[in-house]
Amino acid sequence: MIEISGLTKTFGSGDSAFTALKDVTVTIEENEFFTLLGPSGCGKTTLLRSIAGFVDPTTGSLTINGDDILSKAPFDRPVNTVFQSYALFPHMTVSENIGFGLEMQNRPKSEVQSIVQEMLELVQMTALADRMTSQISGGQQQRVALARALAPKPKVLLLDEPLSALDFKLRKEMQIELKRLQHETGITFVFVTHDQEEALTMSDRIAVMNGGRILQIGGPREIYDHPAERFVADFIGDTNFVSADLQSVEGEAAEIVLPSGKAIQARSVTGGATSGKVTIAVRPEHATLTAPGALIDGTLQNIVYFGTDTHYHIETDANSTFVIRRQNQPDAAESQKIGDKVGISFNPGVAQVLRD
Amino acid sequence: MSSETQSSRNRWLLLSPALAILTLAAAGPLLIVVVYSFLTPGDYGGVIWQFSTDAWFNVVAERDFFDETIGLSDAHLSIFWRSVRLSLLTTIVAFLVGFPTAYFIATRPENQRNIWMLLIMVPFWTNLLIRTFAVMEIIRNEGVINSVLVGVGLVDQPIQMLFTDFAVTLGMFYVYLPLMVLPIYASMERMDFSLVEAAFDLYATRWRVLRKVIFPIVKPGVVAGSILVFIPSLGAYVTPRVLGGGKNLMMGNLIELQFGQGRNWPLGAALSITLLAIVMVALIFYVRSAGTEETPHG
Repeated sequence: MIEISGLTKTFGSGDSAFTALKDVTVTIEENEFFTLLGPSGCGKTTLLRSIAGFVDPTTGSLTINGDDILSKAPFDRPVNTVFQSYALFPHMTVSENIGFGLEMQNRPKSEVQSIVQEMLELVQMTALADRMTSQISGGQQQRVALARALAPKPKVLLLDEPLSALDFKLRKEMQIELKRLQHETGITFVFVTHDQEEALTMSDRIAVMNGGRILQIGGPREIYDHPAERFVADFIGDTNFVSADLQSVEGEAAEIVLPSGKAIQARSVTGGATSGKVTIAVRPEHATLTAPGALIDGTLQNIVYFGTDTHYHIETDANSTFVIRRQNQPDAAESQKIGDKVGISFNPGVAQVLRD
Repeated sequence: MSSETQSSRNRWLLLSPALAILTLAAAGPLLIVVVYSFLTPGDYGGVIWQFSTDAWFNVVAERDFFDETIGLSDAHLSIFWRSVRLSLLTTIVAFLVGFPTAYFIATRPENQRNIWMLLIMVPFWTNLLIRTFAVMEIIRNEGVINSVLVGVGLVDQPIQMLFTDFAVTLGMFYVYLPLMVLPIYASMERMDFSLVEAAFDLYATRWRVLRKVIFPIVKPGVVAGSILVFIPSLGAYVTPRVLGGGKNLMMGNLIELQFGQGRNWPLGAALSITLLAIVMVALIFYVRSAGTEETPHG
């Protein structure tokens, strides 16, 4: 279990000071696939490097299974890193790379050999064990980097955008592969990515970061269905933002009134307002296109066909754009035309009240 | 004329400037030196066109002036040995200082590195003689170091540093240090420093990171730097002449002596070839032993 509390990191000083991490507090559980998700410069890599020991936080505490590790050098921490560039040693073979950590731990030769064999099998690289790392492909280098970091059986494996250099198809394969490795080894994975899809498909829990802060922590479903802040809703997937009047909040249920005057139940947010003007978020696929006189009315402006689904762009009467995504059925005829007056409808509890 | 012969002729035409330069500037003079080494010395310098192996005999041996017995030429051998010894020492010291220097520069922020490199290079652009006299000024008995030591009272009398092997080594080290720093810096700057982080991450201590990761990767630079320092040190002339005084000769001085006061051009030529041979043997030996491990990073 990794417990991070009040972690702050400021680079530089005076006018040029830059705060990369602002009071980050998070607990990562044992055997968890935990993802730090955010745009570049959001502090996710700085947080990862703080755990690895390459960044010395300005304030805050960081413990692994109760041990304070902030005072320890990288080589004294029970964590290993898979680097974005892989950072494989160019003067060593695949086997030597994988065995490096074990040798640095002064393990007996026979043990090093057997673990290296085991790791080669785990990442299916046995046939290429004696190749130099410059003689294998990017995907294979990725596997070696993984095996090298897993070989010493660390308590925590840190992965810094490890899939970003791979092409689309290989990336998909490695996503499944990573999930399998995490399951088989039972090691806690802390995974850094800016790719929301990667985060949603692989993670047990996701921490969405921006501007050095963690904005929301939750499972992929919770993050996607119930974003707490506008940034989270916007960064992950597509979202419609609608302003509304918050009437009352009771537990998870919030009573809102839309600009059309229609009232509906939405989901509340912890730490948000309890009344007044709020913004709600509705996912395009959670809304349906209906006849006028619905929750929100508007004019159909554009119909975009995507094969699997169709996007309907609607200019609402409150002068904002709303997108509805509808899954396509075989040979279904389009019943609406551009310029038609249409209605937008969604079920109670679907709309999410945002914090800001 | 077929196009094939034409293209072959064009090839020779294009090669001809390079071939001409190589013939005139490298092969030709070398051939002259080889030929001269088998001739008889003229009375006032120059050579007499008469075949003789005396010069080669005199490189390593000498005939006693009085009883005509043949023995090894202690004077020459000790000069050879000093040359090799001091050059090796210079190379080692230059590596011990140059490696950390290159590492220091390579780990500075990118916009500062060129300034540091410039500081390394500035002395290199200064006249060799001036730099050598500067070293002399520092280490001579009335020089900077001795003045301070005597002034502070650490020693009663100045320490004799000038005109010793130490002075020669120090001078050559100072003169050739940039030649060590430059290639090491070049390989270090190319090195991906995340490799250092990866090694730290994989439980390697600082010393082991240096030995197991940084050093093997920048080894081509170290090999190049060592060659660049060793070879000119072996043939150094100005530095041992100025800082070594008349006593601590090196091969360069010995050769100069034969063409000057010694008036024995064939011996000078033979000694030059010997120096060349020592360099070649040292190079082959060094590159062989340094190249046993594969370094694909180079």
